[in-house]
Amino acid sequence: MSEIIHEPLALNSSEVLELEGESVLLCNSGGSHFAIRNQCTHQNSPLAGGRVRNGFISCPLHGVRFDLSTGEPRGTLTRVPVKTYGVRDEDGMIVISN
Amino acid sequence: MSEKLSPGEARAPGHSYQEAIKKDASEPPASFLTESYEFLGDADIPYANYTSKDYADAEFEKMWPKVWQMACREEHIAETGDYQVYDIGELSVIVTRTESMQIKAYYNACMHRGTALKSPGDNGFCESFRCPFHGWVYSLEGELIDLPEDWDFPHVKGDSHNLREVLVDTWGGFVFVNFDPNAEALSEYLGVLPEHFKDFNIDDRYIETHVCKRLPVNWKAAEEAFMEAYHVKETHAGGAEFSEPVTTYDVFPENVNRFIHTVGSLNPRMPKAPSQQELMQMLWGRRGPADGTCPVVPEGMTARDVYARVVQQQLGASYDQDFSGYSTAQTLDSIEYFLFPNLFIFPGLTLPMVYRFRPDKDDPDYSYFDLYFLRPKHPEKQPPPPPEPLMLDIEDSYTQSEGLGFLGAVYDQDTDNMAAQTRGFKTSAKSGQALGNYQEVRARHLQQRVGDYLKK
Repeated sequence: MSEIIHEPLALNSSEVLELEGESVLLCNSGGSHFAIRNQCTHQNSPLAGGRVRNGFISCPLHGVRFDLSTGEPRGTLTRVPVKTYGVRDEDGMIVISN
Repeated sequence: MSEKLSPGEARAPGHSYQEAIKKDASEPPASFLTESYEFLGDADIPYANYTSKDYADAEFEKMWPKVWQMACREEHIAETGDYQVYDIGELSVIVTRTESMQIKAYYNACMHRGTALKSPGDNGFCESFRCPFHGWVYSLEGELIDLPEDWDFPHVKGDSHNLREVLVDTWGGFVFVNFDPNAEALSEYLGVLPEHFKDFNIDDRYIETHVCKRLPVNWKAAEEAFMEAYHVKETHAGGAEFSEPVTTYDVFPENVNRFIHTVGSLNPRMPKAPSQQELMQMLWGRRGPADGTCPVVPEGMTARDVYARVVQQQLGASYDQDFSGYSTAQTLDSIEYFLFPNLFIFPGLTLPMVYRFRPDKDDPDYSYFDLYFLRPKHPEKQPPPPPEPLMLDIEDSYTQSEGLGFLGAVYDQDTDNMAAQTRGFKTSAKSGQALGNYQEVRARHLQQRVGDYLKK
């Protein structure tokens, strides 16, 4: 298991990190942090830059929405969930683990 | 039976709804005192109106593309780039908020080869609408802004392939669409609604709960199940004596009807009227806090007025607001307005529902029921974002939704009747359903309005 430690993000923002060679997107939705793989399961484009709101991220390319806590997609463009990572708060820092 | 009266003139024994609320300590809205009943006939409603595929197809061809229908609430598309897909039959529309914060609606189809740009019922955010097939991109204003390999499309010029707009307008925080470019203005279509709702600030409400359930019954029969309080005694009170609510049924031109029934007033049929304190005890037992002491009804006041104040305080504490400006009738009564063809709005304080019904596009025996709870927004605090709808299938219980509270079980009781009605439609020795002249006039109004469109 590998971990990254990162400072908390601004509300409803995201940032690309790397964890063991995988591009990971850390998101702050409504004050809660989530980490997902930075690749849409619809057409494989990066999710970075997608809008984060209300526990979801919208893919910037075609707008597929993923539930940040489960990775499950909404709509019919893809049925494949996006990978999620463990996130915990330690002494005010965000720890992401695979 | 009142044989000397003309059809539609008979009323339940005792006082009317209007007479009942005139006794309230607080003045009800003037619109509550209006009576607008009209006898619309007493012929049976053919079961084929509900079960026939041809009839459903005619509705999809002649009615649904011509009527104003609620696509979403404004808060669903609060920010630039937010969108909501609304589907009715084979038609699908994307409603969105543009850069200039206008609301626009587009047919949900790429102008290239027709691919739907968004999934059915989808909502979310995008900076532009990008077709997942070949990557044609449209701005939020609907303009074709990126045409990949444009050398191959000399015939796509100017605005010829911009997204096609659908009429869109708003009232009361609701976003309505109409697929008919020549439709009458929404403000005309709404009839008396804006006037009747002026005391309610329905636009200043937010969605607290949203449940979408598939129902085993035709969309019109589903609506009709909620259009009368005649079923309350049997369906919701187990046939208990004197459980009939005192109700007014009113029909307004051309697209609006309503019922309002009292909560917490004496049933005039009771041979021995309980005292106001006994009535208060009954109300308290039903919905008051179990650990509280039942208030004493002061001399000269009614249990209904005292109970209304209690409810205002309870809800005021829950939502950190002052509801003391609501009248007793606004606070307690079941106030249900219907806008043809498929929207119900309850503007009252205790019962804060909105219903939207839609037919299944393939099978007239099924429909979809969106059930929302709308609560008044706090004057200073930001309301929570609209919740994701809880999707329920036919066999799922409404009690899965915590937000519905005690009403979850009530909606289950209504739903139980629906599958039975669909089965009965098909085995009945009779070709149509009989309707009460007064209590079920709204069902007849709905049927007649559908018929009006089908005749066009």
